[in-house]
Amino acid sequence: MIKKLLATFLTASLILGVCGCANSSGQEQSGGNTSSTDTVVEADPSEPVTLRMAWWGSQTRHDITVAAIELYEEQNPNVTIEYEFYDFDSYFTKLKTLVASDQVWDIFQLGGNFPEYIDKIYYMNEFIDNGTIDVSDIPESYLKITQDTAGNQIGLSNGLNTYGIAYDVDMFKEAGVPLPTDNWTWDDYKNAALKISEATGHYGSSGLASSEFIAGCSTFIGQQGKVGEYSFFNLDLTGMGFDDAQMLTPYIQMRADLINAGASPDAGAEMEITNIENDFLVTGEAALTWVAVNQFPTIYDICKEEGRNLALATIPRVSANGPAGSVIQSSQMLCVSQDSAYKAEAAKFIAWFQTSVECNQILNGERGIPVADSVRAALEENLTEGQQIMYDYVTLVGTFETPEKVNVLSPDGQDEVVDNYRNYIQQVVSGDITAAEAAEKTYADAEELFK
Amino acid sequence: MKTKKLALKTVYHILVIAFGFVMIYPVLWMISGSFKDNSEILRGSLSLIPSEWKFSNYPTGWKGFSKISFARFFFNSFFITALSTFGTVISSSLVAYSLSRVKFRGRRLWFTCMLATMMLPGQVIMIPSFLIWYRLGLANSYVPLIFPYFCGQAFFIYQMMQFMSGIPKELDEAATIDGCSKYTIYSHIILPLLKPAIVTTVIIQFYWKWDDYMGPLLYLSKPASYTVSLAIKMFADAASTTDYGAMFAMSTLSLLPVFLIFLFFNKYLVEGIGTSGLKG
Amino acid sequence: MKTEVIKAKARKIFYSNEMVGYVFAFPFIFGFICFSLIPIITSLRYAFTDFSMGNKTIEFVGGANFKQLLGDEIFLKSLGITLKYVFISVPLKLVFALLVAFVLTRKTRMQVLYRSLYYVPSLVGGSIAVALVWKQLFARKGLFNSVLANMGLGTINWFGDQKLALYPLILMSVWQFGSSMIIFAAGLKEISPTYYEAARIDGANTFQSFVNITLPCLSPIILYNLVMQTIQAFMSFTQAFVITAGGPDNGTMMYALYVYNQAFKYNHMGYACAMSWFMLIVMCIITLVIFKTSRSWVFTESGD
Repeated sequence: MIKKLLATFLTASLILGVCGCANSSGQEQSGGNTSSTDTVVEADPSEPVTLRMAWWGSQTRHDITVAAIELYEEQNPNVTIEYEFYDFDSYFTKLKTLVASDQVWDIFQLGGNFPEYIDKIYYMNEFIDNGTIDVSDIPESYLKITQDTAGNQIGLSNGLNTYGIAYDVDMFKEAGVPLPTDNWTWDDYKNAALKISEATGHYGSSGLASSEFIAGCSTFIGQQGKVGEYSFFNLDLTGMGFDDAQMLTPYIQMRADLINAGASPDAGAEMEITNIENDFLVTGEAALTWVAVNQFPTIYDICKEEGRNLALATIPRVSANGPAGSVIQSSQMLCVSQDSAYKAEAAKFIAWFQTSVECNQILNGERGIPVADSVRAALEENLTEGQQIMYDYVTLVGTFETPEKVNVLSPDGQDEVVDNYRNYIQQVVSGDITAAEAAEKTYADAEELFK
Repeated sequence: MKTKKLALKTVYHILVIAFGFVMIYPVLWMISGSFKDNSEILRGSLSLIPSEWKFSNYPTGWKGFSKISFARFFFNSFFITALSTFGTVISSSLVAYSLSRVKFRGRRLWFTCMLATMMLPGQVIMIPSFLIWYRLGLANSYVPLIFPYFCGQAFFIYQMMQFMSGIPKELDEAATIDGCSKYTIYSHIILPLLKPAIVTTVIIQFYWKWDDYMGPLLYLSKPASYTVSLAIKMFADAASTTDYGAMFAMSTLSLLPVFLIFLFFNKYLVEGIGTSGLKG
Repeated sequence: MKTEVIKAKARKIFYSNEMVGYVFAFPFIFGFICFSLIPIITSLRYAFTDFSMGNKTIEFVGGANFKQLLGDEIFLKSLGITLKYVFISVPLKLVFALLVAFVLTRKTRMQVLYRSLYYVPSLVGGSIAVALVWKQLFARKGLFNSVLANMGLGTINWFGDQKLALYPLILMSVWQFGSSMIIFAAGLKEISPTYYEAARIDGANTFQSFVNITLPCLSPIILYNLVMQTIQAFMSFTQAFVITAGGPDNGTMMYALYVYNQAFKYNHMGYACAMSWFMLIVMCIITLVIFKTSRSWVFTESGD
């Protein structure tokens, strides 16, 4: 399986590298590191160390992460970890305030938007080189997915991940709709959603709003033309990756049509979804939803308990034999903070978190497929059904033809673009503007980021 | 005639009670929700009596999240609220005394400043205040949530001044003749007479502070330091398929201290508000 | 001998009005300078920069932020929504507060209980707990809709329609009329009963004496409540933040919430400060207008 994925990763890593430098244009590239090599304190093993750590996620993630932290504290009695956890939006709101005051948590979680915080990240190379941490268990290719081109280790990946569509098999059958195939199209998707909502009275397609932009809208662009011809933002995050705003129109129109037909939740209903675990798919009120596949095993188990049967399908394509647009990426990573007084201790924890079999038996791949060989091997021995589906799915996506270079990162300020984009869709729904206008506006907002 | 009067009286009471019931219905609904099963709440059941009493919502909710129980959050809230209410009462009464009873140079200016503060939208100063506390390295502490209350709150200074204007000046004069200084007049005459206004301040400041969400949201980041209001929001956001029963249970508990304070001091509430100075 | 003189002098200074005044007023003066004046000035300075947290170099951008404001659709929308919210909720709230306070002046043994009953929403209304209850009341399958459904009416998608979403928030604000009511009640208590007696002798009914005696006597208090409630309504944040997060399509994007988002979510501090200042100016104008017009309707007792 690993081999199959490897090709994807090498390319993905190149891109991560590209972004690492692109973002620091304007500031000195060294922002990440030079200033503080001398400030690293090598802690005496008996000296009490307090590390602050934070992440975002659902209740399941909070519980297992806390359990893992407690295990670490038990094994390292001198270390106390003060943890904080948030939902996605609050996490980044909080992080921004901490960035301002140079008080970023010692250990913090970042995803594709890390370029915005590059100044706050302390590269981990030093710890790898001087043997503070041992990452020999993580294959080179997986280390690379969280490195920049200069080879700086930005963090260690929490796991491999990609987007997919989780769906309720029985609801599809009940409505007499054919199950999704590996290369189903947006038209198939739309028809399925419409038919299911008509036949069952439930939503055809639900969707946690925060993942829809990346999993849907931005993928939609990558699926057009030849493989790798377009992307939403260009590869070095200095501008747009496509020229014609109208390329967005069919997608926006489809979203609005589904909402208008009652086949997708409107703004009021969407508001009730606060995280994947209360998505309408999970509550039994929708037939499908977007997921980052690391979330799949959790919701699979929840639904299984209620006697429902979930499966994973690929993100629909623009045309059945066109590009898939999906890529495997690092779900998130843990980074050491530039503000930390105990950088080495923070790095040690991160390495333990990613490579300890014991720890990962608690974490159980909730953040994605683990990157360390021994951990993956240990977990693969007793996968739950949901995890098996996720592993198979990631393998499948790994076989898709992917562009030579992809970019899974988001530029500084994307939050506002996404918020506006969601509002434009609502305006299309209420008939205030047309889908074409919404596309133009979204494009203009995104372009504005680079001015 | 008498029966008509009685009938009118009855109608009056029925109407007042009926409307009052509608007013507090949402609160009652929340309290009853704390004894209901999650599914019953989600169905939007109108009934105030749970179809099945579920007391376990309370222990479930009390556990809080990630090993921090609500005991901790309640303690935090009490700590912040008690200190800042205490601070408000002391400082506001001092300031109100000086502005209403002592003729010193600059009094008009400071009075105007006080009125201006009362009308100042919090948003204008929210960001810079936040940054100032950060520079001082105190942003992740209770200090920004408590210390400013020891500097007087314009609203309460104003209320107390209104009330003081109803305390006869002759008392001060008599005391001065007896050889009392302004300091003793404050502590021995004004402060004891101010009791109703102080009670009003305690009630209002207590629940404002207890309910405060924005302050803790900005200044507190470690879950162990959260106040009840922040914890409840967190509870609602993070919980898997939000457990409304447990959430309502904790919400109900969170309102309990406010209710108790109110019931305890209730009869002073109207007495403590001076309006005479508003006229003219 | 000399120390005696100094002591006496010190005592004189210590007990002088100036000293006493400043000793007592010190907390406020200190607080005013540190927590109002300095932040206000800082905020004004930031309003002319591109300041954002984490950005070490702050650039002066002149009036660019204010210019951007006028072209910002969401800003204009949120301004409109906030005005709508203020203009609907404040008058309704005051009318309710006054009516209920008036009705409850009737001396009965139940008076205290009744007043408490009506005060409860104000007591708890600002809390997160009640905001969450409100969210649930107006949810798609919430209490309100189940009442409508029971009556055979169609359900209303309160938070799905941007034209409707503001009303649950307005209702919530009006619901909390208790604190204004208490202030009215205190004012009503001070209206001399002789006025009412005189009116009754002249044959006035309750309504007439309400209009001719109660309203004029209360007018200064109405003014006070009006100003305070208007300011409070302008700053309303928690409800929108918790219940709707500003949606749908920014239909409940209260001004304060948009400031918060710009400042802490999008990290445009300079821009957010400019917005705050704009709000300050708008509120000053509105307050001024209220005070100006008040001369024609606030009744001042002569000889005071």
